Amino acid sequence: MMAYIVRRLLATIPVMAIVGVFVFMLLHLTPGDPAAIIAGDNATPANIAAIRNRLGLDRPLHEQFLTWVWATVRGDLGISMFSNLPVTKLVLQRAEPTIALTTTTLIVAVSIAITVGVLAAWKAGSLLDRVVMAFAVMGFSVPVFVVGYLLVYFFSVKLRWLPVQGYVSIDQGLWPCLRNLILPSIALGLAYVALIARITRASMLEVLAEDYIRTANAKGVATGSVLMKHALKNAAVPIVTVIGIGVALLISGVVITESVFNIPGVGRLVVDAIARRDYPIIQGVMIIFSGVYVLVNLAVDIIYTFLDPRIRY
Amino acid sequence: MTTADGILATTTPRDRQVWDFIRRNPTIVIGGTMLLLIALGAVFAPWIAGDPIVFKPVNRLKPPSDEFLLGTDSLGRDVFARTVYGARISLLVGLSVAAGSIVAGLFFGLVCGYYRRIDAAVMRLLDGIMAIPAILLAIALVSVMGSSVRVVIIAIIIPEIPRVTRLVRAVVLSVRELPYVDAARSSGARARKILLRHILPSTVPPLIVQATYICASAILTEAGLSFLGAGTPPEFPTWGNMIAQSRLYLASAPWTIFAPGACLALVVLSVNLLGDGLRDHLDPRLARRM
Amino acid sequence: MKKISRRTAIKGALAAGASTAVLAKVAIHSRPALAQGMKQIRMVPHADLRVLDPIWTTANVSAYHGAMIYDTLFAYDGNLQPQPQMVGRHGVSDDKKTYTFELRPGLKFHDGTAVTSKDCVASLRRWAARDGAGQHMMQRVNDITAPDDKTIKIDLKEPYGLIYEALAKTSTPLCYMMKEEVAKTDPNTQITKHIGCGPFKFVESEYRPGSRVVYDKNPDYVPRSEPASGIAGGKVVKIDRVIWDVMPDAQTAASALINGEIDFFEVPPIDIIPTLESAKGVKIEVLNKLGNVGYCRLNFLHPPFNNVKARQAAQLAVSQEDFLQAAIGNSKYYQTCGSHFTCGSPMGVEDGGEIFKMPMAQRQAKARELLKESGYDGKPVIVLHATDIHVMNQAAQVIAQNLRQIGMNVQLAASDWGGVVTRRSIKVPPEAGGWNVFFTWGGGNATSSPINLFAHAATGESAWFGWPSNALHEQLRNEWAAAPSLEARREVARRMNKNMIDYVHDIKTGQWVGPVAYRADRIKGILPVPEILPWWNVERIG
Repeated sequence: MMAYIVRRLLATIPVMAIVGVFVFMLLHLTPGDPAAIIAGDNATPANIAAIRNRLGLDRPLHEQFLTWVWATVRGDLGISMFSNLPVTKLVLQRAEPTIALTTTTLIVAVSIAITVGVLAAWKAGSLLDRVVMAFAVMGFSVPVFVVGYLLVYFFSVKLRWLPVQGYVSIDQGLWPCLRNLILPSIALGLAYVALIARITRASMLEVLAEDYIRTANAKGVATGSVLMKHALKNAAVPIVTVIGIGVALLISGVVITESVFNIPGVGRLVVDAIARRDYPIIQGVMIIFSGVYVLVNLAVDIIYTFLDPRIRY
Repeated sequence: MTTADGILATTTPRDRQVWDFIRRNPTIVIGGTMLLLIALGAVFAPWIAGDPIVFKPVNRLKPPSDEFLLGTDSLGRDVFARTVYGARISLLVGLSVAAGSIVAGLFFGLVCGYYRRIDAAVMRLLDGIMAIPAILLAIALVSVMGSSVRVVIIAIIIPEIPRVTRLVRAVVLSVRELPYVDAARSSGARARKILLRHILPSTVPPLIVQATYICASAILTEAGLSFLGAGTPPEFPTWGNMIAQSRLYLASAPWTIFAPGACLALVVLSVNLLGDGLRDHLDPRLARRM
Repeated sequence: MKKISRRTAIKGALAAGASTAVLAKVAIHSRPALAQGMKQIRMVPHADLRVLDPIWTTANVSAYHGAMIYDTLFAYDGNLQPQPQMVGRHGVSDDKKTYTFELRPGLKFHDGTAVTSKDCVASLRRWAARDGAGQHMMQRVNDITAPDDKTIKIDLKEPYGLIYEALAKTSTPLCYMMKEEVAKTDPNTQITKHIGCGPFKFVESEYRPGSRVVYDKNPDYVPRSEPASGIAGGKVVKIDRVIWDVMPDAQTAASALINGEIDFFEVPPIDIIPTLESAKGVKIEVLNKLGNVGYCRLNFLHPPFNNVKARQAAQLAVSQEDFLQAAIGNSKYYQTCGSHFTCGSPMGVEDGGEIFKMPMAQRQAKARELLKESGYDGKPVIVLHATDIHVMNQAAQVIAQNLRQIGMNVQLAASDWGGVVTRRSIKVPPEAGGWNVFFTWGGGNATSSPINLFAHAATGESAWFGWPSNALHEQLRNEWAAAPSLEARREVARRMNKNMIDYVHDIKTGQWVGPVAYRADRIKGILPVPEILPWWNVERIG
């Protein structure tokens, strides 16, 4: 077991290396020239050339790549081309809102989705099932930003129950912080709940049709026990897979949600950076997001082996 | 009920079979019909609607009227025409992404799940791609390759491939040790035969659910990319563009969002109903139980 | 065995959760709580403040930052007349070749040191190296010196009428005064220290690029005694703190204003103004009366627009009315204009603009004729299309349609504004990655001057993107700068405008003003200034 975990941990190194090469190449093949953007609207071509030289953008690509890799390995993500501040500092300044938003959404969404999905499968074909599935379908039929604006329009502008936008640090109390996270979490979590609820229902239905469940039912084992102990556990592999995959969905959603609700998080940092070709920030954030994602899925792979001992490792 | 009885009484055995199918699989029929109607609208768009691109700024933000069935947008273009034409691109994006990522994902998933030696290498490569947040990857790809429908499709497919692969692989991993696969293996069947005959079928039900999800999410991702200004060129009539470009008018000119929003929801809904229905229909064990 | 493992896994997950929380905690710099009764204003500027050096960049938001923390020697008042600001007594020699300025007493930098003429000389030099008007001035300057701690002397080679105008201007970059050690920074490198001498202090510890900027009142600032007007007069600060909240999404910012989470929203899109107007306490006001001017730049280097007839065809085809309607929408806030120098400004002469008064059908017919004469062969015309900025997004589509209407084969090259900025600087032919047409806009105030605006140069490949070339135009610009009076300058401007329309310098697509929206039930006293947003004089009332 330990050997397996260590092996998987080591395996993340080549993954991150691939991410690194990919991200670097992608950005440097992008036609946008940060020097032209930094120089601004009234820049002369000479100004632009001077900036390119200062940023080292006129050096050969492989040289830039090696410099970047060496710095990244040492934990130095470079300096933003626009604000002249270290990327690490910029990311840390923005980390709290993003972590708060994603963890809240993740916890709430997963618990709601699994409960709802199991109930729907158990009462397959019932009114409850149909209502749940209808909601699930709607959940990912409407884009995050439309949900976001609708929520803001009704709950903030019309009813004035919740703030329109922004983020309040957890330092200023749990409730003020959560109040600001309610609407963004709903907007962000809706598609995620729908996805997990669907997959839960689908794999539960599959398992519930298996002979041993019918046997358990016939033997008079209590329904709750059948659902949780036998069925859910056996249906868990696809569910866990989707939760793991869904973390990526969540990260993508965060990027949009932070724009809609004006949350000063990492997602907004990177979208602004892409528009301005601020390479160090884009590279840094992509590496960090990817790192988080790799770790989550490492955990998922390890959880597999507990859930389904038939998987050989 | 009298109508149903009436129909049953006057129909031939063949008709009865069809009716039977409809009654057992209402979701397939509803979803399929809706999808078919939308697809027909898309195909015959030039006969149904006017020009979706030409505009007169004087006409901007006009509410629905006899002249403009669904009103006009912020440039004065006909929302009805753009909505009808929008079905073309949205369906094209949705279907191409679903097909492309399922085919590629199935291939990688089967190979990785079965041939454990290749597994590690391919999975690490796919893990690398998958680890990069999809939307950032797509934005970056669109800015590298320039924005066009083809590029958007590719940019959405690439991050989907590893996802499908993982799902297929997970199924293969739990199926490959089942007694009947073991039996086939010990009876000397070749790997390719085992994969195609014994393992592939098990991947179909989850893949159908996944394909519907991918198709729907691809249409939505396209809208998200537009929202961030990295989707198909705004001139193109896609629902994603229409919603993204009209988001300022949610309160003042809701028709600019209503039509594409409703169509988007409708298409996604019908795709999902179809998928769910197919799943139930294709899985005989489940059918028996119900 | 299995049970234990599962429990371990859950524990592991919990531990991981806890450690992220701790990490998040570590990452936060705790924000000091606001003192009771502190008067604070929260506003949403038009853009994020990324560059803190208002000399190095021409970005307006950086100029706003400059106006908060720095001060200028001279300043335009509300009637666009230059007035002394940091300068007390000042004079010109009889031969008009020596200007002498004396700093008024009590001026201090935020680090407590006094402002000396040495600081000002270094600041003037650095600014003049970056600024168009500064460069123009320096060509006539022998030397700038500091004979003593409070006197600044400018020696000219020949009389030059635009000294006060250049030093007082509100178009970017403004001539802000910095400490000598900071002003010695190479003009092509950004400054790293932000020691101001103006009415507000920059709170560097709370600066979050992309999210918020904080300024506190500078209690040591000595305002002039005159009433505030334009960016001249007494800069009396009546609030304790100004916070800029950056909100990239207009709908979000509008909702925040309605809900009272912010007090001021600088650039509400015209289309949501009706919603804002009907909201309680919200007032819509035009602060910058000169507003903005749209330009459609044509690439002079490549076909078809290397041919003047094709340019004239495009000029007739592009309809200001179409653009303004599509991009701005509400005729209350826009006007068509036949001048290259901002209608409503002293130079806003429309000589030669009569051709735009013809009915559109007639213009299009004439344009088709001209296009044919130019020998246009149906080659694709690449129009750069920035999709992430509303006005630009609409503009590119209108221009494309207008050009198609006269038979051009237009291709829209969509990208974000970053992509457009990059591609427009490429001089190779359009089919090899260059371009034919792009749209942008400039401040009406900057555009009103033939000299201050770099885009008004027609010096060929060393001119601004599009690289227009016209010898007569350059000659007229020099004549304008040397003209002795406003009336004489207007006379030159008439000839210049006619010539620019003849050779089609670029295509002006009309003028519009951007109203601001604010909570009139909470703040009052915002000064109307072109291109600068001052926060002195503003009071908190609710």
